[in-house]
Amino acid sequence: MSEDTAKRRFREIVLPHLDDAWRLARWLVGPEDAEDVVQDAAIRALGALAGAAPVKPRAWWLAVVRNTALTHARKRRGQNWNHANEEEAADAADPSPDAETALIAQGEGARVREALGRLPPLLREALMLREIEEMNYREIAAVTAAPIGTVMSRLARARAALARLLKVDHDG
Amino acid sequence: MTDEDDILRAQLALDGELDAQAQLAFERELAERPELAAVYARHARLRQALREHTPREAAPVRLRARLEKLGASAPPRRPWLGAALAAGLAGFAALAGFEAGRARRDDPALAALVSGHERAVLSGQPFDVASSDRHTVKPWLAARAPLGAFVPDLGADGFALIGGRLEILDGRPVPTVVYRRREHLISVAELPLSQTGAGAAVVEGYHVARWRDEERAYIAISDLDAGELAIFAERFAKAAGNAKTTAP
Repeated sequence: MSEDTAKRRFREIVLPHLDDAWRLARWLVGPEDAEDVVQDAAIRALGALAGAAPVKPRAWWLAVVRNTALTHARKRRGQNWNHANEEEAADAADPSPDAETALIAQGEGARVREALGRLPPLLREALMLREIEEMNYREIAAVTAAPIGTVMSRLARARAALARLLKVDHDG
Repeated sequence: MTDEDDILRAQLALDGELDAQAQLAFERELAERPELAAVYARHARLRQALREHTPREAAPVRLRARLEKLGASAPPRRPWLGAALAAGLAGFAALAGFEAGRARRDDPALAALVSGHERAVLSGQPFDVASSDRHTVKPWLAARAPLGAFVPDLGADGFALIGGRLEILDGRPVPTVVYRRREHLISVAELPLSQTGAGAAVVEGYHVARWRDEERAYIAISDLDAGELAIFAERFAKAAGNAKTTAP
């Protein structure tokens, strides 16, 4: 009985937001691993849905995907992956002249994607949830289990780093 | 050079997170202070570049298929429709009534389709393609929705085909066929199997009938009474079944 309930909830909550989950996983762990991550997350979600129904289904499911992705990435990258790197490498990420030259040489689309790839994961995550998934601060806070103030500061730092990488601050 | 506070407020404004009063104040200031306007414009350009170059990619089909299987119920599909047809129309209505108590009120897909129906009825323009000819409606929908649509002729049963339209659910087109019985409109949305539960429900005052077959889930929405809508659902399902067994 509860398995049926879990599957019904799974169909109502997980499947309709599968594309969102895929994009989030992709930005967190890269396209090669995203499929495994979403599938693991779905199995976890199905297990959890036998219990209580989540109050905010989409945010809940994306939070499951995110936690699965972070666990996966930490395992994979070992000691290089820690919270400091996830957030604080923002300033290390950009202003080397080599990085700038490499970026300027490419077309705009490739430049944007490469610049995003250089952001520390937690900053990139906040930015993608805001700009691509069009979540508000409260929703981003729910998915990332961070206070709203932290969400704001991550967004600000992500945008500052990205603007520097892309030289958006120069007119034109 | 630029004040931290300007940067933060420009972002809050851009993200729609200022309250109304703060937003108005910000806009006044924007007009008066070019340096603030420059900060704001820079963030807007960044947003535009991001949205332009990071497409909203869909999950791989393979992954979706695997997860749909994971969420599929163990017994074969259409258990209640089969049972209801076997038990006759009385059974159908009784079972539909039983299911109504369990229909989820917070099903967002269902709520969206009901609003679509309501908007269509109120606007007096319930279809994107108006035609009583299924050979017009079907290809119109097929050209716009990957699944295509099943468009049975139910004229003999007292349900006249009057057209079709597209609803959008989660960014995907949902083919919707529109019928009329007397002055009542019926919208039938055809969805992938994963999309919906089964059973009758009442949502925002509209009667809803939901059923499925091997390929799709169907949601019919109307201001017809529940009994007549159940008859419609039964005839539609039967026509769909016949069409499939006689199709080459």
